[in-house]
Amino acid sequence: MNHQLIALLTVMAPLVAFATVLIGFRSKHTVASSIVLISGLVTLVGAALLLFNGPVDGTVFSARWFVIGDHVIEFGVLLDGRTRMMGAVVALITFCIQIYSLSYMSHDPGRGRFFAFLALFEWSMLLFVFASNLLQMFIFWELVGLASFLLIGFWYEKPSAVAAAKKAFIMTRIGDIGLFIGLILLFQTVGTLDVVRITQIFAGEGLPESIAPGRIELIATLLFIGVIGKSAQFPLHTWLPDAMEGPTPVSALLHSATMVAAGVFLVVRFHELFLDAPGTMRFVLIIATTTALLSSTMAMVARDMKRVLAFSSISQLGFMLMGLAAGSLFAGFFHLTTHAFFKALLFLCAGSYIHKFGTNDMVAMGRAGAAGKMKITTIGLVVGGAALAGIPPLAGFFSKEQIIGSLHGPENLIFRIGAYAAAFLTAYYTFRMVFLILRPGIDSEAIEEEPAGSQHADAHDEDHGPAEPWQIVGPIIALTLGTLGAGFLGNRIGHTLLIEHIHHPALAEMAPAIVIALLGVVLAWLDFGRKGARQVGFIARLPAARTLFENRWFIDTVYKAVFVRLAVGFAKLMFGAETRGFDGGADKLGQGTVAAGSQMAKAHSGRLQFYVGTAFVLVAVLVFYLGLS
Amino acid sequence: MTLEAWILFALVLFCIGLYGVLARRNLIAILIGIELMLNAVSVNILAFNHFLAPDPAVGQIIVLFIIGLAAAEAAIVLSIVLTVYRQRAAIDVQDLKELKG
Amino acid sequence: MIAAGLVMLISVAGAVVAVSVKNIVHAIFGLGIALGGLALAFLLLSTPFVAAMQVLIYIGGITIAMIFAVMLSSTGKHEPGEGARRRVLAGIVSIVFFIAMAWVVVGSDFGPLMELAPEDMESAWSVQAIGRALLNDFNVAFELLSVVLLVAIVGAISIASRHDEGEDPAINEEGGA
Repeated sequence: MNHQLIALLTVMAPLVAFATVLIGFRSKHTVASSIVLISGLVTLVGAALLLFNGPVDGTVFSARWFVIGDHVIEFGVLLDGRTRMMGAVVALITFCIQIYSLSYMSHDPGRGRFFAFLALFEWSMLLFVFASNLLQMFIFWELVGLASFLLIGFWYEKPSAVAAAKKAFIMTRIGDIGLFIGLILLFQTVGTLDVVRITQIFAGEGLPESIAPGRIELIATLLFIGVIGKSAQFPLHTWLPDAMEGPTPVSALLHSATMVAAGVFLVVRFHELFLDAPGTMRFVLIIATTTALLSSTMAMVARDMKRVLAFSSISQLGFMLMGLAAGSLFAGFFHLTTHAFFKALLFLCAGSYIHKFGTNDMVAMGRAGAAGKMKITTIGLVVGGAALAGIPPLAGFFSKEQIIGSLHGPENLIFRIGAYAAAFLTAYYTFRMVFLILRPGIDSEAIEEEPAGSQHADAHDEDHGPAEPWQIVGPIIALTLGTLGAGFLGNRIGHTLLIEHIHHPALAEMAPAIVIALLGVVLAWLDFGRKGARQVGFIARLPAARTLFENRWFIDTVYKAVFVRLAVGFAKLMFGAETRGFDGGADKLGQGTVAAGSQMAKAHSGRLQFYVGTAFVLVAVLVFYLGLS
Repeated sequence: MTLEAWILFALVLFCIGLYGVLARRNLIAILIGIELMLNAVSVNILAFNHFLAPDPAVGQIIVLFIIGLAAAEAAIVLSIVLTVYRQRAAIDVQDLKELKG
Repeated sequence: MIAAGLVMLISVAGAVVAVSVKNIVHAIFGLGIALGGLALAFLLLSTPFVAAMQVLIYIGGITIAMIFAVMLSSTGKHEPGEGARRRVLAGIVSIVFFIAMAWVVVGSDFGPLMELAPEDMESAWSVQAIGRALLNDFNVAFELLSVVLLVAIVGAISIASRHDEGEDPAINEEGGA
């Protein structure tokens, strides 16, 4: 088989599955899930084939869509290192999550629809990743947003899910405006939509002299605004924690390989452009570091397991962008890959617990005996948590090390400190979560309460078969192995990305990061793990900070106070103008016409022939008048 | 026959039709008057067409359109006549004064 | 010349009968005579196709439909006569209009007449020419006319077949008031 056919199969299989299921089998759940699983498998095999022996250079397979003037708009599949790698990650994670969903969603009345949306999600993400031109890229960027909107709001009878879906959509739309303007400006500047050509321009000769020097910075900043929305960076990060309202497999997909990864991948895709805009890179670095720190603090106090993971996703995305902004494509992309594995793993573990115990509260899970009853899930949790915390030799350690390593030089000192601090907090809150589940203190001071997002809809009695059916265990084991192994694939990934020289930090360079991660774990042990720990964390002794963190730095509150109130005020103003001004005016106009009509009607006799006769006499009179004058 | 003669002939027909429309009270009789007026116009057009127009097909087509429209109009009027008759057992226009203000 | 005068005479006579006799069925016969005369007039104006259409549609279709309507509404015998005042007024209007128009016609200069040569007559007035013009230059109007006819048929059926309305005189009294 040639590459073109493989590429076509890979990207189109999910679409075929989506269309088939949505049209024909929405309520035949077994058929629907089988179709989607087969398409997922086809895509996975195709993506793997492309990854392992696909074309190395930027080969494009495309079909003409339409022509405007001199510009041919195409739908295409661009195969180079970045897309092949990312495509394989997307396909693998999605397939794992599809298998997992077989069990997780097995009692949901709408699971045919669910699987259809999963296929849609995979398809849009794949064609976004493989996009060969800017227009296609934008279309599928938006489709990714649409698919995640549909999946977050999957339980549409729950008002909070609907609100979360709307929030996710609107917040990302704010960023999309920036992205859209940026793409148009980019097209106007370089005069082509072709991604390969754009990459060549910025990697090689650069822009012609006539372009204003600030142009590239402007474009890069606008593109990055899109990334802020999509990858949930400060200050548009608030939608991601709310997105937990969707089913847990959706969260796993959303946080690892698709939705939020799309933003980071955009920076990866246009990394050459971003490198040409040092000012923007600085801005990216500031935003990313802020985000990583802020969200880590929020994760420290969250009780809802999925929320902790959501905050950790935000901060890890910050890490990726820090690596990319520091100039290292490899570091950012490597972390994107490893993060996809361990974050999907952690979410699947969380989902497994939630499925079993019917609560999102970590304290409640721990006290219900989560660790003892679900051994494989717990092993996955520990491995994933260690990877997230950056404990060697797991996946997260190597990639995080690469990112911190790329932040060298005195001008990056503050960011390096920020990264260390965020890494420390990450280790702390991750192991807080692990210890709360692993070593529940029955009489500790931890408060057991029902978090807002608890999904009772998922909860089932223990009679429903084994606690860990193969559909759940399988993906968890696969991702655990991936998390264990992905860290050692750095060279391989670098090779795929055509990066010749990968900096391998010496042990001395790695030492601070290891020490800091271990410090975080130790602190978590003292606060939560050891016998008789109070399990409230050191933050409880700082009430002010705790209030701040628990309310997520009041960012949501400020948004509500400022933007929502502004919008409501504006809406009220417009409502007044509408009812009294435009609409009232139109009403008056109509009433006036009716009144005038009824007045005029009084002059009518209703005698047809009289009218006709009058008309003809008047014509005759007119003729005489014109003829005689 | 000259053009003027034909046109005056059409005018006579038209005025007879007009008289019918104005004088009669029966709806069908009024329709007869209208048909006469329409035919007068047709004669007028064909006369001009015969004596003046370089492309004779155009005038004929206009007359054909008139005939077609007259057929449509007659169908509607006659159905209205039937409805009116069914409602009030008479088709005298003097009774039809609903439009009066 | 004589033929044309005869045709005009027949037509006008038919028309006068059509508008003046009291019995509506007779009036329709008068209309038929007038229309037949006009068909002959069209022949004299060298448009045989239109003459044929006149006979088919007007005499064969419209007058017959009128007779049906008369029979269904059965007012033929009880035609209320028009008052003299009404007739006089209508006559005055018609005559005034006639004088005005005749004045215009007689006073007009129609310019040089452009009668076709006899050898060109055959092709120019043929049905082929009409068909060609109908489907080229006048195609939109032609299609529109077919739509109008369709709508008229549907409308006529729907108007005439409303049985439920109007069977209750009380409603009509209120509606008419």
